[in-house]
Amino acid sequence: MSQSLDLSRVSCLVVEDSNFIRSLVVACLNALGVRQVKLAEHGGDAIEFLKLQKLDPMKAGVLSVDMIISNWQMSPVDGMILLRWVRRHADSPNRFVPFIMLSGHSAAAKVAEARDAGVTEFLAKPFSVTMLAQKLQTVIERPRQFVHTSTYFGPDRRRRGDPFMGQERRVLTDKSPGVEIVNG
Amino acid sequence: MADDKAQVKVRLYRFRNALKEKVGYVGGAPGEPVRIDPAALEKANAALEQMKEDYPDWVQKHIEELRLNHARCVDTPNDRLKHYTKMREIAHDMKGQGGTFGYPLITTFATSLYEFVGAKAGTTDNHIEVIKSHIDSMAAVIKDRVKGSGGEIGQALTKGLHEAIERYSKIS
Repeated sequence: MSQSLDLSRVSCLVVEDSNFIRSLVVACLNALGVRQVKLAEHGGDAIEFLKLQKLDPMKAGVLSVDMIISNWQMSPVDGMILLRWVRRHADSPNRFVPFIMLSGHSAAAKVAEARDAGVTEFLAKPFSVTMLAQKLQTVIERPRQFVHTSTYFGPDRRRRGDPFMGQERRVLTDKSPGVEIVNG
Repeated sequence: MADDKAQVKVRLYRFRNALKEKVGYVGGAPGEPVRIDPAALEKANAALEQMKEDYPDWVQKHIEELRLNHARCVDTPNDRLKHYTKMREIAHDMKGQGGTFGYPLITTFATSLYEFVGAKAGTTDNHIEVIKSHIDSMAAVIKDRVKGSGGEIGQALTKGLHEAIERYSKIS
């Protein structure tokens, strides 16, 4: 046997300038059981909405945003600027919110750029419904600790359980001086 | 204490999984594997199938916009790079959409067009012809509803575009 996810209490902000893709994402989320979906046409709209959500959740129509799904290439404010704002700005309602980036950019360098800006999951276009659903499941079931250093703030870029093949650069452990663990 | 704070190099936040707390679990027992409800997934795929039917009409607007920008490139040769910027945005959208809605050839052709309208792309008349060949190929895909790899028609369109690229590249 297995358990199925009930997403009816999850709220999601979808940021996409193509109304066709936006409709697709919303239709998928609704079909998967997500009831509260807020929409923004580009990063600037999303930032205004998130500010309002922080100041006046009732007026924003949602008590919290549990997840952001955003396109990358949009104008005037793209998904990368939105991601940086969410992770870094004092007005951000939740700097830890899961952020799924949709993008036609699938080159490794672009994926790395999004990762280094603190993205939670990256979904290359064109994507399938199943791929989107899998990303949702990963965000819910396999959250990562957040890491804050002088150069990075975001989910741990090394996923738990994944073998790391590169040159080991991590010299600090949980017990090292200079490492602070914040539980909550 | 102040010294201790100053020495913090890495802060690791290990919060409880608030999102998971909002998610309910249906069927099975605690500890059993978790999955997206297959019925919900089927419903989501049905929504996609419905949208696929509307995709040709939607993408037609993009193709017309490309044609308009191509025409401006012909009319006003000095402004070609300006029109490339717009075409690049459209091509980027199209390459991201085609495959999702059952038209991977649109993704293939739009990916190629995206490269041909870059900031450092050529601006010769022959280059403009290559751009036109891309637009014509994509228009043919939509007009003939060439889904998937498109079989023989898809192969012919791909071959035709490659030949046009080669022909005009040689001339320039």
